[in-house]
Amino acid sequence: MKTRRRLEPFTVVSIIGVSFFMVLCVIPFWMIISGSFTDESKLASTGYSFLPQPFSTAAYKMIFTGPAVLDAYFASVFITLVGTALSLAFTSGIAWVIARRLPLISRPLAVLAYIPMLFSGGLVPLYLLVTQYLHLQNSYFAVILPLLVAPFLVFIQVSAFRQLPEAILESARIDGAGEMRIFFRIALPLSKPILAVIGLFYAVHYWNEWFTALLFISDVHRYPLPLVLQNLISNVTFAQTLPNTGESAPVYQLRLALTAVTIGPILLAYPFAQRYFVKGITLGATKG
Amino acid sequence: MSTLQTRERGRTATPPLAPPAKRDRGSRIRTALWTGLLALPAVAFFVVFAYLPMAGLVVAFKEFNIADGVFGSPWNGLDNFRYFFSSGEASRILLNTLLLNTLFLAATLAAGITLALMLNEIRGRFFKRVAQSTIFFPYFVSPIVISIILQVLLAGVGGSGGAVNDALGGLGLPTVSWYTEPGPWPWILTIVKVWQMGGYMSVIFLAAITAIPDEVYEAGMIDGASRAQMAWRITVPLLRPTAAVLLVLGVGRIFYGDFGTIYAIVGDNGTLFPTTDVIDTYVFRALRELGDFGTTAAVGLFQSVVGFVLVVTAVLIQRRYAKESSIL
Repeated sequence: MKTRRRLEPFTVVSIIGVSFFMVLCVIPFWMIISGSFTDESKLASTGYSFLPQPFSTAAYKMIFTGPAVLDAYFASVFITLVGTALSLAFTSGIAWVIARRLPLISRPLAVLAYIPMLFSGGLVPLYLLVTQYLHLQNSYFAVILPLLVAPFLVFIQVSAFRQLPEAILESARIDGAGEMRIFFRIALPLSKPILAVIGLFYAVHYWNEWFTALLFISDVHRYPLPLVLQNLISNVTFAQTLPNTGESAPVYQLRLALTAVTIGPILLAYPFAQRYFVKGITLGATKG
Repeated sequence: MSTLQTRERGRTATPPLAPPAKRDRGSRIRTALWTGLLALPAVAFFVVFAYLPMAGLVVAFKEFNIADGVFGSPWNGLDNFRYFFSSGEASRILLNTLLLNTLFLAATLAAGITLALMLNEIRGRFFKRVAQSTIFFPYFVSPIVISIILQVLLAGVGGSGGAVNDALGGLGLPTVSWYTEPGPWPWILTIVKVWQMGGYMSVIFLAAITAIPDEVYEAGMIDGASRAQMAWRITVPLLRPTAAVLLVLGVGRIFYGDFGTIYAIVGDNGTLFPTTDVIDTYVFRALRELGDFGTTAAVGLFQSVVGFVLVVTAVLIQRRYAKESSIL
């Protein structure tokens, strides 16, 4: 146990500095959430509010009564769930083979996964590939597939697999377990924590992804959440495609409410996710 | 064919109960190929979505038309490159890309180190944990959400006011019409980057700080160093290798304009282009508005090649001067 230190100037500065940064991180979200419960008339005059007054849930009613936002929610959830599951499977598969240091194949596979980190074909060839050759326009898979395997996460997974105790794998081998059985029954179950880390990285990525959606999805009904939001920013008229409760839609309040709805799931998953994320980037940073 | 052969050979050569350590080469290769099947999906992914697009870069040297496709379109040599570099926009875009990314890299590294040093000073476990979670949170948020936050702060939700202008007004300073004023945007984007990445970076550095042995600080304490001196004279120098790794990774990305954040925030607001248009946003816009595949592919190829050269140079320099922290 360390003895309690005297409160030194630098410690005081640190506490103030960190608190200041914390406030900076919280205030914007508070403004969004508070604004989303504030009546449109107030928003239109002052632009934002720290306290939801007059209180109104009109925007949320609009969001949850019509199909538009629910469609978007479905799209985002589908992309996130299916994408993360596929990404995890693909990533751990190749990572395991690289981690095993097998003759003839481990090294070439590592190189194969490493080169795309340094050099990429860029936007145009990808665009042509997806639209002209794979014909994935307006498919959720146009968002999922280009992001399926992140080389960086492959290497994090490799270093995690290499930390598995060799003795366990060896004893399974002696007991006659085949390579596939060792991977599925021993390596994967023992790697649950790192799989959670990698999965979370992928999930956050898919949940927030809007660029590939912007490129490849033009059907309004298949927009994922961030794209619906982006549309609400860039053209106000898009709000009119949302179900109308009456005369004019509370556009500004709606933007904030939809933003809150987009952040919501992350906010809920956060306490769980943050711990694993720290583990993930720490691993990536120190084992590099 | 050879798969079958090695498999056959392996089978005959391995006695059924041989201890694994003594397995011969044939059997090892058989195991390798069998295990290698697990990598197949990812290999397929890399081939289709990483290597095929690299081959697709030939578009940069072609007069592309959809009817003839990527490989059938007629060649036009370096015309696409010439067109871009003589368009007058090239220098502005390249300069913006370099300037913005340098700002982002320097600012996020500095913020990460500073936050890590400060967090390290905080003893209260509860407060520390809450602080870490809080400053990490912006990392999880979509660029679109950030863009909405910026609008609330700078332009107000209804296009009037905005928290920042109200604050400026309260201080008796003139208000600014932020979205029509390109000048401050490099700084605004840098602040956004620090806000977004500061917590993430601090976790990396905090991990590195934890790895520093206690004895070093005990020695410092015996010599009567203050907390600030210890942070500055001991921790910061020992964080150099970590910073070097992040710097090399960052330099490799310096030609990539962080499309997500910049496009989400600036969008098609042409007034801000003089200071915010970067390679990625330019390529995207050109592709969408002009449908000029050849030129945009040329720009993309240029970007990839320069990026590649930068990474290799950075890694070589780092190997030479800080070998212990080399990433390759």
